[in-house]
Amino acid sequence: MSDTAHATSHPSTKDYVRIAIFLAVLTAIEVALFYLNEAVGMEGWDAPLLIGLSTIKFVVVVGWFMHLRFEDSFLARFFGAGFVLAMALYGIVLAVFGAIVLFGGG
Amino acid sequence: MADTFEIEEGAEVPEHAEVHDSHHLVHESTGIDNRKLGMWVFLSSEFLFFGAFISNYLLYGGRDFDSVVPRDIYDIPFTSISSFVLLMSSLTMVLAHHALSTGDQNGTKTWLMATALLGSVFLGGQVFEFTEFIVEYDMTLTSNPAASAFYMLTGFHGTHVALGIVMLLSLFGIARREGGLSEKHGMNLELVGLYWHFVDIIWIVIFTLVYLIGAA
Repeated sequence: MSDTAHATSHPSTKDYVRIAIFLAVLTAIEVALFYLNEAVGMEGWDAPLLIGLSTIKFVVVVGWFMHLRFEDSFLARFFGAGFVLAMALYGIVLAVFGAIVLFGGG
Repeated sequence: MADTFEIEEGAEVPEHAEVHDSHHLVHESTGIDNRKLGMWVFLSSEFLFFGAFISNYLLYGGRDFDSVVPRDIYDIPFTSISSFVLLMSSLTMVLAHHALSTGDQNGTKTWLMATALLGSVFLGGQVFEFTEFIVEYDMTLTSNPAASAFYMLTGFHGTHVALGIVMLLSLFGIARREGGLSEKHGMNLELVGLYWHFVDIIWIVIFTLVYLIGAA
């Protein structure tokens, strides 16, 4: 992408403020969900909802504030590879140790 | 792999090379500035670093021990405000970057200082939280595996925030001394910005997994 195209495709100050308000609202919903679960009990629905909301926040910050959606896809692949590798590695770690705790009494 | 080298006076510039400033020729098969690529690779590796501590907390944070565990003493309203402050520091950081891209040097300095201040408020909140946990609840680093996992995870995140504040203040100092940030320092600001936003997204994960889900 040329420098000119790179510069013009970026959000404006107003866009950044709107994104920040969106992120703040998502955070407020997360906290509200926590207290809603405390008050009435959501039968395990709170965790997937909270993870979903934080995933949206994660993607918005990486995409807009870190400008990854405006950058070369090469960077996104590098960054995504690290994330996927970490998720896979620690997913296995948690599964193995979780199984030990559940079935091995560790 | 990409490499960077100096342009000799009067030297021929290869067709495939990009000139990024008056002193440096950046030869990149990727078409991406090496420093920016290096920062993204570094941040990518940081997922593995923080992943280890988050996994450790997920393994031990929910278990019961003889002494007090973190999930019983979280102050969710306080941590929510801290999270909001750090989130807003990402806004001020991106506004600093945006101000520099539009040539607004005063705006750049203002937003840089605002980001450093918001980061300091977050860090102050963490120090307060740790102090409260240690003094009031006698939960120290060695109390139990859950407490160790909590302090290691949030402590290393706090260390990253502290390092980010030092980098922000350094940029602010350079901007003040030189009357603004040059094109060369503009890239430094972008790199510090990437680091700062990364610290923010790691907190987004910690806040959800450790505090909101952990305390439920």
